[in-house]
Amino acid sequence: MSAASTSPPTTVERPANVGARAGTGADRRATRRPGRGRLTRPERFWGRIFIAPPVLGFALFALAPLLFSCYAAFTNWNGLSSPVFAGLTNFRTMAADPQFWQSLWNTVVMMIGIPIGLAISLALAIALNRRMPGRAAFRVIYYLPGVSSVAAISILWQWALNGDFGLVNELLGMVGIDGPNWLVEKQWVKPALILMGVWKGLGFSTLLYLAALQSVPRNLLEAAMLDGAGAWRRFRHVTAPMLSPVTFFLVVTGIIGGAQMFAEVNIMTPTGGPEFGSATIVWYIWQQGFQNLQLGYATAMSLVLGALIFLVTAIQFYLNSRNVFTVE
Amino acid sequence: MRRRRFLRGALGAAGAAAAASAAGGCGNLHSSDPDVLTFMFRGSTEERDVFAKAVELFTKKTGHRVDLISTSADQYATKLQTAILGNSTPDVFYLEPPRTMAYVTNGVLADISEYVDATDLPVDDVWPGGMNLYRFDGEQIGKGPLYAMPKDVGPFSFGYNKTLFEKLGVEPPDPDVPLSWEEFLDRCKDLTRERDGKPVSWGTSVNIGAELHSYAWSNGADWVDPTARTVTVDTPEFAEALQYVVDLREKHEVTPSINETEGLDGYQRWLRGQIGFFPVAPWDLTLYRTLDFEFDLCPYPAGKSGESATNIGSLGIGVSSKSRRPDRAAQLAMFLSCDPDAQDIIVGQGQTIPNTRTRAKEWVKDTSIEPQNKQEYVDIVEDYGRFVPNARTYTPEWLDTFFTNIQPVVEGRADVGEYLSSTQATMQSFLDEGYDQLRIDQEANS
Repeated sequence: MSAASTSPPTTVERPANVGARAGTGADRRATRRPGRGRLTRPERFWGRIFIAPPVLGFALFALAPLLFSCYAAFTNWNGLSSPVFAGLTNFRTMAADPQFWQSLWNTVVMMIGIPIGLAISLALAIALNRRMPGRAAFRVIYYLPGVSSVAAISILWQWALNGDFGLVNELLGMVGIDGPNWLVEKQWVKPALILMGVWKGLGFSTLLYLAALQSVPRNLLEAAMLDGAGAWRRFRHVTAPMLSPVTFFLVVTGIIGGAQMFAEVNIMTPTGGPEFGSATIVWYIWQQGFQNLQLGYATAMSLVLGALIFLVTAIQFYLNSRNVFTVE
Repeated sequence: MRRRRFLRGALGAAGAAAAASAAGGCGNLHSSDPDVLTFMFRGSTEERDVFAKAVELFTKKTGHRVDLISTSADQYATKLQTAILGNSTPDVFYLEPPRTMAYVTNGVLADISEYVDATDLPVDDVWPGGMNLYRFDGEQIGKGPLYAMPKDVGPFSFGYNKTLFEKLGVEPPDPDVPLSWEEFLDRCKDLTRERDGKPVSWGTSVNIGAELHSYAWSNGADWVDPTARTVTVDTPEFAEALQYVVDLREKHEVTPSINETEGLDGYQRWLRGQIGFFPVAPWDLTLYRTLDFEFDLCPYPAGKSGESATNIGSLGIGVSSKSRRPDRAAQLAMFLSCDPDAQDIIVGQGQTIPNTRTRAKEWVKDTSIEPQNKQEYVDIVEDYGRFVPNARTYTPEWLDTFFTNIQPVVEGRADVGEYLSSTQATMQSFLDEGYDQLRIDQEANS
């Protein structure tokens, strides 16, 4: 590696005999000052200008609303006039609100789809990782739901889950099972949404697993094979640890995404489902904020949801840090 | 030098794009030209086209330009709420009646009484019930200043498939005298037929959220007391009405079952000519006129009270209190509500009944327009129709909660009396919270 690539060009280009002699004004401007990085002043200026939009965007559209919501959660605010400070009222209401707890429970239950989806994705990725005809076509087919509109998918599944003529019950009927009224019966509405969620997320997870599988060093697998490891042991002790970063990423994003489930619930069960059976926490927040004009209460619930997601993600990061697997 | 020029150019382009998008965003709901009104409304594609034509006529007649912002029905409430939150309320907008009290209390709506008093348009000829729905004196709906013009009144009439009645040899209902519940059940039984063990027609199909009002009111029950302060669903009359509706399906099997409505709901089965009695609201007339069977209107069956009852829907056209041209905005609201030429455009498409009494009388007599018994619509609006009770309360949550957990009752899995008793307490607490909120908002805005 050359010295030029590690030092700013101005210091390298300076003649050796200049020594401590003061340079021209341009030289002084161009000379790196201690503690100010390697950029020249104009570069620093333009650098700041270019990073300003995302920073301003974050401050304006994320930080400011977050700070405001920290205040609004403690107010009685209907979204039509100014918030009125109400102390802990919203949080007390939340603690005693059965619909809040039920929607939170519904959201948690529907996350069962995450491990199911991961297991199926991994199996699919392993299958697609083999040399077989039509492999590219299969990859595209599995990924299609990932790039389709949630609204379109939800309407499609609404039809597919139709009790009488739906595709799902037609398929179940072929194996002699009389399918339920998925979106009408309380005990079946959550499994129906889980089923749809798994299907929708399959392509993305499979694609990531496939990429991870293809990056497993072949020499490690060959070394394990020479050591007498069978297919299962090679997968268990070589492949699976190499996939753990992807699994971690999918679990974290899956939980964050699952906690924010809204569009499919709102389209497929616009009233929150039979006996509130499919109302997710975000759907309930939206309903309180925009249907019932209780934005203060909705904001308080959003904060609690944000805190829960943060907590769960932090625990996941902690657990993951204890199981770090690296290849030197 | 080249790099500097490039950087400046890129920065300028980014700035211009940001400014353009910001300006575009503002222009969506709030015109930068104070003389240009913004009108936000919702509806089906056909309805939006009709109102766009009516607005075009307004511009032609008055010279006032109007920017239209239209949304689908399900997005409207959220979009309007966001516009209000963003302090860019459109000058004129559709108002859902359950929002009237909140919008007035929080200063969103302008009082348009003075403009209505001064106009030459036939505002006195508009249905008084429709006008009163948008009056609010700070405590009660129906009294005080006027905050919106009714865009329409929607009498939720009952109707029947004449062709099916004739085909099955069932005596049609009297156009003026309501059937008793017993008579109605008998007709429904006659209309419910099977072929090869499979049902091919049903007496009726009840949409509980839309139709329970009719059965409860006609049986002498009500959702709330006359002051709208106490929930009254735990009365024997209410229980009897709900039980009657549940029994139509669960006991007498004269409506499609849960399974059958999941496949094709009652509305779709009515469109296919498989249902005898079904609601025929004005907004459905355009579609119904294309059906391959004849239909007509009749009163809803009467319970214990002996009188038919049903609800009247409505949408208002309100004016923002922050409009820079409230006079023009009020003029547009009144124009759409009752200008004769605008009514020609709106009623001509069959989306609504005429908004003025004089015109409605002519419309009723016009035998070239289906259905023949249009007088039923007028009777509902003038005589026995009622507005849905959440239009008289501060928040609608108390009524919504009734329908949230009703499924087990509708399916016959839960006892009607027990449900009404337990849900009354929940509804009452939501209603009380609504009034508490009204007091808080009144104090905050005083």
